[in-house]
Amino acid sequence: MPMRATFRNAPAPGGPSRLMPLAVVGSALLAVASGVLFYYASRTAIRSPAGPVYRVTVREKSCDPNSLVAPAGRVAFEIYNASNRTLEWEILDGVMVVEERENIAPGFRSALTARLRPGRYEITCGLLSNPRGSLVVEASAESEAERQKPPLKAFIGPLAEYRVYLVQQSSTLIKEAARLAAAIRAGDIDEARLRYVATRLPYRRMDIVAGRFSDLKNRIDPVADYLEKREDDPAFSGFHRIERALFAKRSLDGLQPVADALAADVAALGARIRALRLSPGDICSSVERQARLFAESQIVKGESPYARNELVEFEASLQGMGKALDLLSPVLQGLAAPALALVQERRSVAASGLESLKRAGGYPAYDEVGSPTRDKLAGDFRAFAEAVAKLGVLLGPE
Amino acid sequence: MKSMRFLTALAAALISAGLARAETVTLDLVGPISDYKIYVSEKLDKLVEDTKAFTGAVKAGDVARAKALFAPTRQSYEAIEPIAELFSDLDSAIDSRADDHEKAEADPSFTGFHRIEFGLWTKNSTDGLNSFADKLLNDVTELRKRIVDLPLPPEKVVGGAAALMEEVAATKISGEEDRYSHTDLWDFRGNFDGAYKIVELVRPLIAQKEEDFLKGVDDNFNRINATLSKYKEGEGYVSYEKLSEADRKVLAAAVNKLAEDLSTLRAKLGLD
Repeated sequence: MPMRATFRNAPAPGGPSRLMPLAVVGSALLAVASGVLFYYASRTAIRSPAGPVYRVTVREKSCDPNSLVAPAGRVAFEIYNASNRTLEWEILDGVMVVEERENIAPGFRSALTARLRPGRYEITCGLLSNPRGSLVVEASAESEAERQKPPLKAFIGPLAEYRVYLVQQSSTLIKEAARLAAAIRAGDIDEARLRYVATRLPYRRMDIVAGRFSDLKNRIDPVADYLEKREDDPAFSGFHRIERALFAKRSLDGLQPVADALAADVAALGARIRALRLSPGDICSSVERQARLFAESQIVKGESPYARNELVEFEASLQGMGKALDLLSPVLQGLAAPALALVQERRSVAASGLESLKRAGGYPAYDEVGSPTRDKLAGDFRAFAEAVAKLGVLLGPE
Repeated sequence: MKSMRFLTALAAALISAGLARAETVTLDLVGPISDYKIYVSEKLDKLVEDTKAFTGAVKAGDVARAKALFAPTRQSYEAIEPIAELFSDLDSAIDSRADDHEKAEADPSFTGFHRIEFGLWTKNSTDGLNSFADKLLNDVTELRKRIVDLPLPPEKVVGGAAALMEEVAATKISGEEDRYSHTDLWDFRGNFDGAYKIVELVRPLIAQKEEDFLKGVDDNFNRINATLSKYKEGEGYVSYEKLSEADRKVLAAAVNKLAEDLSTLRAKLGLD
């Protein structure tokens, strides 16, 4: 219709007779336009379920290709580790981790699907010290359609409540990290070990979000495996450096600055979390991402090699994920009841899988948990992640 | 083909313009609403703590101490009244007035702050107040428990600013709220603080578009603060009976204007 108006307003020096053919051309153009739109729409619709797979080879020092361009929406990647180190691969939006895969062994491939909004992203390429590659995501028919999802008003209350939860957990984390630093300052290694485990719990309860600030995560929670010089790397800081000193080396030597830096970094994390804006889709993709990390890496090989307190940490993390899902569920119930039911069912399977390992005095050390049990648990978390992914598709990235 | 591209672009622009406005505004509210929840939680913690001391004094028979703690204890409740009132059973148990009940002061269902106030000021005694003291402490503790896990409805939070001012205008400026103790100015302070907190939290979302509106609101809050400050005494305020007729009119005008202005806040944030 706007086109008709344009024609009517156009000067018509030749009188009414000139208008007729123009109007015919106009309708023809409209017909062609709608035909092309239809073709475009159907073509995208056919493409979207499978879609292209973006293959990235990670070499010793860089990614190949080192820059990618992809359409917005669900984008599939396949990462091939051509380096000689086990690696993690991440998509970063500024300092935020959008999606990641851990524990990709040399010579292995790992598939990853991310829901991406239009914008510029970075990709990590092996060691934390390697330069990053770039990923440009362009607007697509799918990303425009996503904007037509129902209004978010109903989500504000639950999202606000989840933010309250995150703020509370981060306040607890800040307090606990200060107590850990104080125990180390006081030279009390037994107390410091207790404090270490206690400090990990609030961090784990919000790890679906905390793990997304890549700069802070690399200071607070780096794993030696992903550092060039492993335990001797100067970037080996934060929790696991303290864990190693307390539980493996049994020494507080030189630990004070590490504990103080951790206390400062978790305070910075608290400020980031206060400023963070999360959508329901963000929460789903964060839960999915964390559950997959558990399934693919942390449950299989363990994440706390010195303290061996993995199980209580998995439990805390699952509590945090459950909090987010429970808060969203009254709204999701109306939008996606079957998908939500599957998520809750698989979540409780994962929770009871953990619970079944508990003994009278609490969880056993993780080195006492054998491969079959780990594989079973990993399977539970993978199934949970897949159910959350299905729910996430219904919500979209917003 | 150019026209096709134009049409596609136009459609996309219309879609994004229409939706982006509503959505951005809404998600931006998550921060203010959760900060308000934290504010409410802190007030509830203080309410429970203060109520313990207040009811403790009542049960100890310490009339002077109970009288001194009555008004400051209520302030936390008054500040979060829009949320506290979400539970009508508790609101009526905690904060109803004698005339809400069939037999007024003599009605057994007349409980809470004002029942205790009636005993302390009218009879200058704590006699017969023990059960009311216990019940009040139970009720505020229950209120906190109910709100801990309650996601706050955003329209109640944003609408709460106007609701507070409307209530002051309609049923408080007359002095009927604290009719035995005349500590109404303490309550007002709580009501104004609670309303202003809401304005402060959503201010960044409307600061650019609603400069004039915010200036008008700020002017009225300033007028109220200036008027109230004349009646300050110690940590609180003098008796409501000492409020001059001229100042009562200044307060009433500012409160009415605020009630009217703040009632548009929900629409400004896309919550209507």
